[in-house]
Amino acid sequence: MNMRRGAFVLLLLLIVAAGVILLRPGASYSQQDRAALLAPSSHAHLAGTDAMGRDRLIRVAAALLLCLSGAALAAALSTLAAAVIGTISALAGSSVGWATLLLCDVFLALPWMFLLMMVRCAMPLTASPLSSAAITFLVLAALGWPACARAVYRGALQLRNSDWMLYATATGLRRSQILRVLVPNLWPLLLPQFLVSVPAFVVAEANLGALGLGIGEPLPSWGGMLLELDNSALLMQTNWIYLPVALLVVVLLLLEAITVEA
Amino acid sequence: MKSLLAMLKWLSRGVSVVALVMIGTTLLVRFAPGYLSDSREMDARYAAAAQNELSLVAKQSRSPLGMVLNEFSSWIRGNGGVSRQYGVSVLELLGPRLSVTGGLLLRGLGWSWLLAILAALLSSAGRRPLFLWQVPSTVLLVVPTAAMATVCLIAGFGGPVLVMVLCLAARDFKFLHSTFRNAWLKPHVLQARCQGISPARILVAHILPAIAPQLGALASLSLVTALSVLVPVEVIFNVPGAGQLAWNAAINRDLPVLLAATMMMAVAVTLAGMTRLQMSDWKNV
Repeated sequence: MNMRRGAFVLLLLLIVAAGVILLRPGASYSQQDRAALLAPSSHAHLAGTDAMGRDRLIRVAAALLLCLSGAALAAALSTLAAAVIGTISALAGSSVGWATLLLCDVFLALPWMFLLMMVRCAMPLTASPLSSAAITFLVLAALGWPACARAVYRGALQLRNSDWMLYATATGLRRSQILRVLVPNLWPLLLPQFLVSVPAFVVAEANLGALGLGIGEPLPSWGGMLLELDNSALLMQTNWIYLPVALLVVVLLLLEAITVEA
Repeated sequence: MKSLLAMLKWLSRGVSVVALVMIGTTLLVRFAPGYLSDSREMDARYAAAAQNELSLVAKQSRSPLGMVLNEFSSWIRGNGGVSRQYGVSVLELLGPRLSVTGGLLLRGLGWSWLLAILAALLSSAGRRPLFLWQVPSTVLLVVPTAAMATVCLIAGFGGPVLVMVLCLAARDFKFLHSTFRNAWLKPHVLQARCQGISPARILVAHILPAIAPQLGALASLSLVTALSVLVPVEVIFNVPGAGQLAWNAAINRDLPVLLAATMMMAVAVTLAGMTRLQMSDWKNV
């Protein structure tokens, strides 16, 4: 599948997910139907309900929107941070560059999962679900920039030593003017980094959530819904329990198709 | 003399990265908003005891510098701090689990490398359609480790090693396939093939030596990936390793244990990365 088709199908999925939520006025991802716990597929609940009587389809749609938008926002933040840090350290001189590379080494030496667990467990016990979601994605953004910053640093360093840059400096262009020309030249580096980060962050959130350290209930998330698979009694009752995993794999395949072509 | 200086430089960079990791993680934990909170506070039976312990911790960690120094001295003393949950030395808890984790990592990395190299060799040298290899590797690549482990557990098929092997091999295969493909298409290799030299001989004499630096880079990246895969695998399959201990510490807010486990993993990653760099430097010399 090429990039445009992948992006189109993904957009279509997002529109359908938004439609599922908007076309059911009054229904919400946290609304419980206590008379229909673990209900099978019906007119009222197309994909059945979970163990707390919440509509599974609405929860999956909300999780899709929340996790994708959160991951995209985190990826944008980490790419922006990498672009700023990498460019500034390349232009500032060798000692700043050395310090930046050392900082990147320090961050890259820390395994993501361990650091994520550490930050998540050091949050207040009273953190609301929304702030737990914000914290999860902010932490992902804070951990994702070093690899990208290294690539940007090397790219910006090459550009700094290029002929046109030496000419621009010799003719007396101000640093802000040089930056205005430099940044668009880094775009081919930044776009793939952004696109690679989105599925990586979605997977990281799912893994963290599956360990019970992700986005807090009742907010729906891939990780939270993967936790349902741990309950073997639920698995015997309904096949709709596999819907989140199946949709997650489809979304990640689409993101992978977009990334590979980019 | 030159090699001694290079070795000293290598050592000092490694030590400074590890020291910075220790300082950074300690400060991160110290300034986290939930540092002075404990899940036992929610339970009326243990709330008073937990608050007493926390006030003691608050006194000890009033100064961030003192806390960092305390962390350093606990590592120098050889106990790595004291677990909040169990009240014993952290290294005493981690020690036996590290051997379990080491064994799992070694088996996972070994088998995944073997599988990825074999698959990459076949896919890059053969004439079969590429999608036969790409489709399974892409599907394995996008399935989160936790989901794969849970599905394996439900199906009663495979165990922690299999999940680690599948996760790591899928990631390694993509890189190895393109590396081998580029190496097979080099002009001198093509000429050797035209002259009828056996693929095995070309592989040993030309391909493997040429791609050795990339393989070294991939080896250190594999270790980082393996450490991330480790936690969900150990938790879901109930393997009593360092990953499960770290997860347990995260759930119970036992930050000294989590900090020590993170430090251990950071040291392993730093050593692997720096050894790779040093080996490529020696090769270039």
